[in-house]
Amino acid sequence: MDVFPVALSAQVSVMATALTMLTGIPLAWALARRQFPGRGLLDALVISPLVLPPTVLGYYLLVVIGSRGPVGRVFDALGVSLAFTWRAAVIAAWLGSIPLLIKAAQAGFDGVDVRLEHAARTLGRSEWSIFWAVTLPLAWRSITAGIVLAFCRALGDFGITLMVAGSIPGKTQTLPLAIYDHVQANEMYQANVLSLVAVVTVVVLLIGVGRFARLRY
Amino acid sequence: MSAMTRWLAVLALLVACLSVPAAAQVTEVSVFGASDLALAFREIVPRFERALGVKVTLVLGSTGMLAKQIEHGAPADVFFAADQSVLDDLAAHRVVIPETRTLYAQGRLVLATARSAGSKLTEVRQLTEPRIRHVAIANPAHAPYGRAAEQALRAAGVWDAVRPKLVYGENIRHALQFIESGAAEAGLIALSLAGVPVIDYVLVDRSLHAPLNQSVAVVRKSRRPELGLAFIQFVNGAEGRAIMKRYGFLLPGEF
Repeated sequence: MDVFPVALSAQVSVMATALTMLTGIPLAWALARRQFPGRGLLDALVISPLVLPPTVLGYYLLVVIGSRGPVGRVFDALGVSLAFTWRAAVIAAWLGSIPLLIKAAQAGFDGVDVRLEHAARTLGRSEWSIFWAVTLPLAWRSITAGIVLAFCRALGDFGITLMVAGSIPGKTQTLPLAIYDHVQANEMYQANVLSLVAVVTVVVLLIGVGRFARLRY
Repeated sequence: MSAMTRWLAVLALLVACLSVPAAAQVTEVSVFGASDLALAFREIVPRFERALGVKVTLVLGSTGMLAKQIEHGAPADVFFAADQSVLDDLAAHRVVIPETRTLYAQGRLVLATARSAGSKLTEVRQLTEPRIRHVAIANPAHAPYGRAAEQALRAAGVWDAVRPKLVYGENIRHALQFIESGAAEAGLIALSLAGVPVIDYVLVDRSLHAPLNQSVAVVRKSRRPELGLAFIQFVNGAEGRAIMKRYGFLLPGEF
């Protein structure tokens, strides 16, 4: 049995989750705490990846990062191709999973009593320090839930990845794509084994993360 | 502070551990093909690899999706389309090399009956029988076999009667799965997919629908066009034809 899809999916989903955390948490914080023009619109727009059919979303993404797309052309000029590489799979997983983290983290930030932040402010803490020492720890449970959801969504992404990374065996064929291919070829044994790998990985990881996150806060 | 930092540290560590395996440095040819070629190509590809000492990367999917991907720079060397209009489009947009276009099969439609639904149907007209409650076809809006199925139903004069029973598969394989599962009692599907245990089938008269010409062409951006051509010649050569015929991919004159 080919283990490539398992290794690729592990890498892609971890990288996508990291990217989702780096972009999603600040965005969720801004949506929850800051007033800026277009905030309401942005708040609604970040949900759109959940609304559109994944393959359609994948097609739009392909139009943007493909060899003819505005972003794709810039990266091509830099000698880095995005579409139909593992990078596209990371971007696809990121796009599909970011709404889940943003919404969960936003709810977490909303639930933090602003008076606690004000209290920290009166004690001379900087805004940066308040975020790390007060807001983030108090919102952490919701954020953890969002990270877990985002990771699972990233690991399981099918439609966006299929369109923008292709299902190229040994290059971009992630675990869900490999499972689908085996089902299509009526190779149910391989499909079952890979499905089991996906589920067991997530279960083990979530138990581990659950302990880790609880220990921290 | 420590929680976030620790999370990031763990993620960074994981990313570092999981490097993408480097691509092998053997000569490779990327074959993109319609998903109904899965079984036939599983036999042809290893033979071609042995004969020419190259590695074939086989990417199967719906013709429409693969065409869009190739248009946007997917690394395909050769593209086996299930629908000639798609290749016409790609040729018009200079995505494939028109001179390399070759017919590799003419699709045939079969009338399939799920064994669980009773005796085998032998004529398209019989789809109006009350025991047939669902008829699976591929979506006529975009799938070539779906279009052929609609033409056949219209030509047999039963389109209006059968229409309320129709269930549309996303592609022809999906339509087959409806019948295989017994959810649809019958359907119109591809001969190349019909050889599964739980269904019975008969050929639908070719005069009932426009020919389903399936063509292949070399992609213009291919860096190894000669290998793509070699693969096409292999599929249409003696060894390839024998396998293709066995899976129902017949050329005019082979029926």
